Amino acid sequence: MAHQRISSRRMGIALLVVFLMAGLLVSRLVDVQVVRAAELQEQSAEIRTTSEVIWASRGSIVDSFGNDLATDVDRYDVSADPRRVGDFRRDGETVTVMAAMAEIALITGANADELLYAVNSNPEAHFTYLVKGVSPEDRQVLRELRNPWLQMDLVRERTYPFGPVTANLTGMLGRDEPLAGVERKYDPCLRAINGTATYQKGADGIRLPGTTQLVEEPIHGGDVKLTIDSDLQWYVLQTLAEHGSRLGAQYGSAMVVRVDDGHVLAAADWPTFDPNDFSESPVEFMGARSFSSPYEPGSIMKSVGIAMLIDGGYTYSEDKIVAPGFYEVYPGRFIKNFLVADDRQLTTAGVLHTSSNTGISVLADRMPKAEATNYFREFGFGEVTGIDFLGESSGQVLPVDQVDVVTRYNQFFGQGISVTAAQMASSYQTLANGGVRVPLRLVDGCLTNEGEFVPEPIAEPLQVVSASAAQQTVRMMETIVSQGPLRNILEIPGYRVAAKTGTAEIATSTGYGDDRVISLAGMAPAEDPEYVVLVSFYKPQTSRVSTAAAPAFHEILSHVLKHYRVAPSSEPAILPPLTW
Amino acid sequence: MTALAPSVVGAPRAMKPRAVSSTRQKAKADAVPKLRYIVVLLAGIFAILGGQLLLSIAVSGGAYEIASLKTDLRGSQQQQQIVGEEISALVAPDTLATLAGSMGMVPDNNPAYIRVSDGAVVGEAIPAEATASGQIFAVTAGTESVVAPEIVEDVFLTISTATALEADATDVLAPPTADLGTPQTAEPTASTVAVAEAPAPRFGGSIPSPVTR
Repeated sequence: MAHQRISSRRMGIALLVVFLMAGLLVSRLVDVQVVRAAELQEQSAEIRTTSEVIWASRGSIVDSFGNDLATDVDRYDVSADPRRVGDFRRDGETVTVMAAMAEIALITGANADELLYAVNSNPEAHFTYLVKGVSPEDRQVLRELRNPWLQMDLVRERTYPFGPVTANLTGMLGRDEPLAGVERKYDPCLRAINGTATYQKGADGIRLPGTTQLVEEPIHGGDVKLTIDSDLQWYVLQTLAEHGSRLGAQYGSAMVVRVDDGHVLAAADWPTFDPNDFSESPVEFMGARSFSSPYEPGSIMKSVGIAMLIDGGYTYSEDKIVAPGFYEVYPGRFIKNFLVADDRQLTTAGVLHTSSNTGISVLADRMPKAEATNYFREFGFGEVTGIDFLGESSGQVLPVDQVDVVTRYNQFFGQGISVTAAQMASSYQTLANGGVRVPLRLVDGCLTNEGEFVPEPIAEPLQVVSASAAQQTVRMMETIVSQGPLRNILEIPGYRVAAKTGTAEIATSTGYGDDRVISLAGMAPAEDPEYVVLVSFYKPQTSRVSTAAAPAFHEILSHVLKHYRVAPSSEPAILPPLTW
Repeated sequence: MTALAPSVVGAPRAMKPRAVSSTRQKAKADAVPKLRYIVVLLAGIFAILGGQLLLSIAVSGGAYEIASLKTDLRGSQQQQQIVGEEISALVAPDTLATLAGSMGMVPDNNPAYIRVSDGAVVGEAIPAEATASGQIFAVTAGTESVVAPEIVEDVFLTISTATALEADATDVLAPPTADLGTPQTAEPTASTVAVAEAPAPRFGGSIPSPVTR
């Protein structure tokens, strides 16, 4: 029986031990599964979870035909950890650091010595860039090198496929933010917001199914559509470059505007810059001078002045006046003409045709200066155009009480008033459009990432002068092309063209100097104008008269007529007499 | 529980020895379906577990497939982007103008048209002068040199080679002439017959055009 007692005691001890151990396990189980469960799970998820950036694309800037002028592309930044850089083996052969750098340099076009220097200059660093902005093609080749210390990270980069062609308008993107132009002004439409996602991955790096969590949705940017025709813009820019460099001009601007809706089809500024690589570009050539640089326009303002005078009922095309050799504003202060010094019997048409300063002064004298100022403002001078381009200048129209006795006349031939090329083009659009100013338009609208097109608000057209006044003025401008000394340069066979030249003195701190702005503005076909062209060159050196701008104007206008298949004129011109 | 029930029911019968053996036999007979239940139950559990395992293998296999498809998609998108960039480079006005120039084209700024209704030439058709060759002017103020993309270089090379070959060929062969105005050619070859059969209407609403084969 003792034996039995012993065995039952053993049994009891064994059971106790079993229960104790079971209890221990249970308490451990409760501890892990219940008490610390949340904390532990969090820790483990943290180890397995990776977060990634979901790249969102910045919207594109497109021209009126949908060609990309600015768009986002994939690029790779190639980097290395200098501490890990060393010789490695590939296909049983040793590749030295030197050889590896030479390979990278060969593929990316970088300098092998610079790559070596980047790694060797700070061997204790954890990270150094080798080459930035490598194309996906080159990245593929780089991958095939099987270089263990080479790292490539996806980045989004902005490219401008047409390079400098529309650089003045698109502006450019800096490291983090848009710097100028449409890129900057329309950033709210274009901007993209990168998203983030987290997922858990196994030991082999494959993401575990069902663990991906979108933390932040990526928001792609919308596209901004311009009214620009980039083919035409290219041609205009080329013409500016050709003639601008021939004239030794400091810069030149040209604009093509469609008459019926005020769409700017081309707005070129020469010289310009390459938005893909502008680190070396001179800052003064990185904007859009057609919008930002006001100048005193000179005689091209006379067309506007004449239209105002006709509309006000102060004159008409055949009105007979005597344009004196000198117009005495007050004793001792004279307004002179360019070259002509004797009295001439001109009609109002003749005043515009010969660009007579004294003739227009005689006419301007008939209009109260407050009325003139009002007209100038209605033509859009002194305020930004409908485009409201980033950094656009409003030019300057003096308040009536500051218009002195000389400026009162000067304004009619484009002095004492400062305008931008865009405003000038807009005023010619008004004359071409039967006196109705349709505010200029450069940005058509924003195509949001949801596919909704949000048009830019369309500003109300404004009847500035009567249709009759505008048409009479256009007829007068036609005489300049068909009967003036520039006939041989300006005429386009088959088309009726109306144009006005201008040579303006550039104001300096000591008055007006020798430098000039030469310009030509006009339209075709004159019987029912469809396109307005404005060309101007700043500080030309080889020739300082407006005739020097004529070849560029002629080339651009005839290209426009050809490019848009404008039907040649069928009605003969009935033009007013110039003298009496 | 189910195993207990028959023995409870069978308890009163245990009084009779004969009944014992019959009860045993009955219990034995009952044990067979019991075993069957267990087997079915276990098989069911294992089937479910096995199914679950297979399903989870399939799901994780799907994850691998998704991963590889995503890589493919990314690759295709990049391929598309690469091609898109090449197209952009090729359609850039600079490229087109240079290509046109290399093929001997010159810009002509005298617009002239044939009016279809009466066949009249509108505007003055003045031949363009070869002096106004398609020179491309630098438009930037900076000193940066814009490098033409590789694809553009390739196309330039192809075209200049083709032009050179064509120039060689025209030395040997007579240049083809599309003389539509005189269909009454002395030797009616295949092409001139085709022209004679389908003469372009003189002013009948379409522009006379060369017959293409």
